[in-house]
Amino acid sequence: MPTAAVTVAGRSVTWRDGAWWRARAERIGTLWRRSLRFRTVVITLVLTALTIIIACVWMALAIQNDLFESRKTQALTDARRAVDSAQSTLDNAVVQDDPVQVQNLLTSIQGPLSQQSATDMTLAIRVDATPSQLAPPGFRSGGLTESMISAELRKHVRDSGSVDKQWAQSIALPGPDDSVRPGIVVGQQIVVPDIGPYELYLAYDLDDASSTLSFVQATLWIVGSALVVLIGAIAWFTLRAVTTPIREAADTSAQLAAGDLGVRLRVRGEDELATLGRSFNAMADSIQSQINQLAELSLVQQRFVSDVSHELRTPLTTIRLATDMLNDHRDEFDPTTARATELLHAQVQRFEVLLTDLLEISRYDAGSVQLELEPTSLARLAEDVIASMQQLAEQHGSDVRLVAPGGYSPVDMDPRRIRRIVRNLLGNAIEHGEGKPIVVTVDSNQQAVALAVRDYGMGMTEADAERVFDRFWRADPSRKRTIGGTGLGLSISLGDATLHRGTLAVWSRPGYGSNFVLTLPRGSHPVEAGSPLPTDPGDEATDDLGLTQPIIVSRPMDGGDA
Amino acid sequence: MTSRILVVDDDTALAEMIGIVLRTEGFETFFCADGATAVQEWRAHRPDLILLDLMLPGMDGIEICTRIRAESGVPIIMLTARADTADVVRGLESGADDYIVKPFNPKELVARIRTRLRPGAQPESEMLRIGDLQVDVAAHEVRRGQSSIALTPLEFELLVALASKPQQVFSREMLLEQVWGYHYKADTRLVNVHVQRLRAKVELDPDNPKIVTTVRGVGYRAGAIV
Repeated sequence: MPTAAVTVAGRSVTWRDGAWWRARAERIGTLWRRSLRFRTVVITLVLTALTIIIACVWMALAIQNDLFESRKTQALTDARRAVDSAQSTLDNAVVQDDPVQVQNLLTSIQGPLSQQSATDMTLAIRVDATPSQLAPPGFRSGGLTESMISAELRKHVRDSGSVDKQWAQSIALPGPDDSVRPGIVVGQQIVVPDIGPYELYLAYDLDDASSTLSFVQATLWIVGSALVVLIGAIAWFTLRAVTTPIREAADTSAQLAAGDLGVRLRVRGEDELATLGRSFNAMADSIQSQINQLAELSLVQQRFVSDVSHELRTPLTTIRLATDMLNDHRDEFDPTTARATELLHAQVQRFEVLLTDLLEISRYDAGSVQLELEPTSLARLAEDVIASMQQLAEQHGSDVRLVAPGGYSPVDMDPRRIRRIVRNLLGNAIEHGEGKPIVVTVDSNQQAVALAVRDYGMGMTEADAERVFDRFWRADPSRKRTIGGTGLGLSISLGDATLHRGTLAVWSRPGYGSNFVLTLPRGSHPVEAGSPLPTDPGDEATDDLGLTQPIIVSRPMDGGDA
Repeated sequence: MTSRILVVDDDTALAEMIGIVLRTEGFETFFCADGATAVQEWRAHRPDLILLDLMLPGMDGIEICTRIRAESGVPIIMLTARADTADVVRGLESGADDYIVKPFNPKELVARIRTRLRPGAQPESEMLRIGDLQVDVAAHEVRRGQSSIALTPLEFELLVALASKPQQVFSREMLLEQVWGYHYKADTRLVNVHVQRLRAKVELDPDNPKIVTTVRGVGYRAGAIV
């Protein structure tokens, strides 16, 4: 497309600029690499153009040669006939050394010569250059002069010594208005009785042959060019018939790969492309049916989990109400029954939590979770959670400290879910922290806010840490459970973090404790530049936390709650 | 005076258990296990409050709610197994005042019921003005000029809460605490839906509210007195 200007690096340039040509060359290079049709058409055009040029040149030369030869032969024949006839006239004449008679004789042969040779351009020159009283120097007609005959030709004619030999040569004839016309000159001797030989030259105008030649050549070039264009166009359209279905197939498979399982190729005819289309469609059908089957299966499963959870809720409500009531009256029971009631009450609550978690998980699986975003300060949220769990931490002898150099400015998040994550991480840290301090760090950068919960408890092996987000997975089954999680907590936390397009990462070493880092993006794009807080706290070598690990305790100055 | 409560739930065990809990707390209870007869039962007993299960045989809770609302502003609390579904919003939009998610504990249930039965905090003034409305707190009546506007007790309380402090912007959490009695973070959809219902009744143009105005990012406040 012939655009007057293209844009290079944000500025407009024209064809006078080097950049314009570079951009053009680049574009053509791109087309060459990317477009099969463009490449094939260009190759076809170049090759056919070369072939046609060679053919045309050869044909033009052959025609030119042939035309010249035939005119030359004709000229020689004409000349011989005319000269033979003139010679016989001269042979039969009697001149008796009379200059006037000789002159008359020469004049008398000029007319028939012109008529029989079919040209009026004649020139006769006496071979013997010595002046003679008797012999006239020669004659000329039709504008043919001595200077136009080359010395070489004259030498041949002069030295031949016979009237039978003929020579021919191409010459330039003067045309009207100082133009030059192509011609041919035939030279031979003619003998005048008693006087001796004359060189006789007859010139033939080849202008008509020349114009015929130019016409033929022009026709050749026009036909050749038309042929090149035609072949290019044919190649273009033929290729389109092939590349269009290929491009369609490429687009369709890209759509299929992007997840649109319903797309199919249009199949026309019964050729190879149609076979390709049918195979493709068969493949797509098969993929679609398998994916649908799997989706259906998983949907059935999800629905089942969800239905079970819901169906359990009504009887559980009754049980809950009953146990709560019994529990309220347990002072009136004997000690055994009272203890049994207490256990019942606690386990019903645990059951309820488990059911809630299970339901939450089934929601993630069904993809039916909706975030309720509101601008929330992560540092303030962490403060709230720490305050609400202070009592539990104290029971375990852990000191929970907040280090928050950043993360105060509000970021869109679902505070209910983030609070649940923080509560979960903190609960785990308290449970596994072995009474050592727990550090909650909140920081932010331009892309994200992050919260880390670090405990200095028993920690986990790397293999255990990898499985920590698995459902119902417990690091060590023999471990004493004091808080009583469901085994789904971290799984749900990871689900919540992922819903926010954030991450939840873990670092853990046996004997050094664990570090969980929650990272939430500020916008809706996933964090790429990395979390503001490192997952690896980099203090593995610390052997005694109390002595070598300085803990900076920072509390926000104002007591305001976000 | 004993408050009378109608429990509409097809699970008889749960209904009976709820009955035990409520009777212990001094309420009088009636039961209905079939959605199709719930409205008749309500007409027969005229209870002070209805506990309504959403999923019922015969007629679903939302339909029952709509029918009762057409006749009365009696407090309705929905019982639901799912808090996150559109059913909750549909229930609130059809006129339920509040909802409780199963499983719930007795204290929670009783607290929710008491909040709905107890009259709200009485402002000092008997007559309030909000926009072009007069609110007679003692008579539980709202008037525009001479015509009176019928509101449910909850809607009335919402309006009084806003009108009694015309200078204040109420966040949804504040309204949840003051009107619904929630002392912790609860579902703000309750506020949104009921503000919409209230506007539909009191605003001349609900799309361009003048009585209950929205303060973006914060909450709601009373419109200027005209």
